[in-house]
Amino acid sequence: MTYRIGSAQGFYGDDVLKALPMIRGGHVDVVCFEALSELTLAILQKDKLANPKRGYTFDVKLIAQKILPEAFARKIPLITNGGGLNPQAAAEMVRETAAAQGLTGLKVAAVSGDDVLARLSDLQAAGEALRHLETGEVLADSANQNFVTANVYLGAAPIVEALHAGADIVITGRVADPCLYLAPLIAHYGWAWDDWDRLAAGIVVGHLLECTGQVVGGNSLGMIAHTDAVGLAALGYPIAHVEADGSFILSKTPDTPGQVTLETVKEQLLYEVHDPSRYITPDVVADFTTLRLQAAGADAVLVAGVTGRSRTDTLKLNLGRLEGFSRELIFTIGWPEAWRKVEQMKAMLGAIFARMPGIARVDYSYLGMNSLYGSLSPLPPDPLEVIVRVMFTADDQDTLKNAVRQIMTTGLSGPAGMSVSGTTVGGEPRYVIGLWPTLIGRERVQPQVEVMTV
Amino acid sequence: MRRLYDLAYGRSGDKGNIVNLSVIARSPEAYQEIKAKLTAARVKAHLGDLVKGDVVRYEMDNIEALNFVCHAALDGGATRSLRIDSLGKSLAGALLYMVWDE
Repeated sequence: MTYRIGSAQGFYGDDVLKALPMIRGGHVDVVCFEALSELTLAILQKDKLANPKRGYTFDVKLIAQKILPEAFARKIPLITNGGGLNPQAAAEMVRETAAAQGLTGLKVAAVSGDDVLARLSDLQAAGEALRHLETGEVLADSANQNFVTANVYLGAAPIVEALHAGADIVITGRVADPCLYLAPLIAHYGWAWDDWDRLAAGIVVGHLLECTGQVVGGNSLGMIAHTDAVGLAALGYPIAHVEADGSFILSKTPDTPGQVTLETVKEQLLYEVHDPSRYITPDVVADFTTLRLQAAGADAVLVAGVTGRSRTDTLKLNLGRLEGFSRELIFTIGWPEAWRKVEQMKAMLGAIFARMPGIARVDYSYLGMNSLYGSLSPLPPDPLEVIVRVMFTADDQDTLKNAVRQIMTTGLSGPAGMSVSGTTVGGEPRYVIGLWPTLIGRERVQPQVEVMTV
Repeated sequence: MRRLYDLAYGRSGDKGNIVNLSVIARSPEAYQEIKAKLTAARVKAHLGDLVKGDVVRYEMDNIEALNFVCHAALDGGATRSLRIDSLGKSLAGALLYMVWDE
């Protein structure tokens, strides 16, 4: 019997209510919500520092209020990594919300153990160098040790355990995105933990589903000539119909806008992928180069032939550290002699920055001219207008605020015709977070599963 | 004149300071052409100062696509980049803009 997985979230802030037509229509057996990006955890850390009961995505509240009652009534489990940095607090909030709605007997599971921020010293003392995956630098040798997040990408196992314990909703911290979707397949079909080809097939299911709209016609260059732009505002989110052998048909919520074609599937298959023959996940190394795609009717693509190899001895660990703050200002400059004015403005700003030693990085770009493609973009010789975007950073917010004040004092003293966008003057400094991706021994991480009953 | 976009489409994806650019052929003939001629070195030269590090090419004959992994290509990555397109969402377009033949 085909098992059907719906995907209703691809990032923090996605429209999780897209789960409702899937559930009400009887189109799915489980719905997964993928909420975490590299940036999201750093955002959640700010919430958690302000209030220790926070640190999870607010979408979980919406899921508990609007979706969980309908899913529970139909015995459709929900799985989300929106627990972020505080899956236990999120689970407790869901339990309270469910109790207030009278959902007696509902089971909420929290999966934790991914957060190793408090263990960084111990792990290094135990021999983990935590070398940067891209630069090879040893963590202890890095000058900036201001780490605010450190989360291991967990695999499917703790979610499978929670589902076997009868969880109606599973709330996790950092679980590798596709493993959220692999887990219910393992729980349903009983795939073995060394059945590499099927595990890899489940990873491809998850990889294609985890970015919701991006596989049903959103962000599709390949189908741009056939895109119903009005429909983009109400795309139906994707559903995978998975067989016991791991083959599956990718489709979407029936009777909704969007399109599932060979083009949309190919685009998503390679999204955020490096070596497609070695897509490394906590549970299996998946090979995308053996699979076959075949059109299988309207908005349906068959995926078969995925293969996999044994999992690695290490897990990925991503650390985030505070590297200061950035500020953006946008200036407009018009003809005549626009380029001369731009050079004069840059010289003037440079003089202001030079007398403020706290200013670290400064970056100029010309919006509409070279801000996307850099040196690929030839600059016009005598433009009617130039929009100059200036980004600058400092360790502290006060330096940036002071810099903006000093720049604004030149309002009547700058180059001819210079003007500044008022909305950017009124803006606030933004956090600059540096990432430190690394690997950690699998044996050092013990996921925990807690189940509470309403 | 043809650009690479006449032969292929694609999408970019960010992971840390690395961006991957998929190049998906519009036909079997186009795939043979880009597979033969679109080398990593050619991509690196085309992208210029957008990519500070190495470019590695992967082939996917099964879906007639190439994947280019560009290192040090996002000004530090989404969380610290000063670029207006900090996620590199537009960068696949930079590659597809390549002049293919005159």
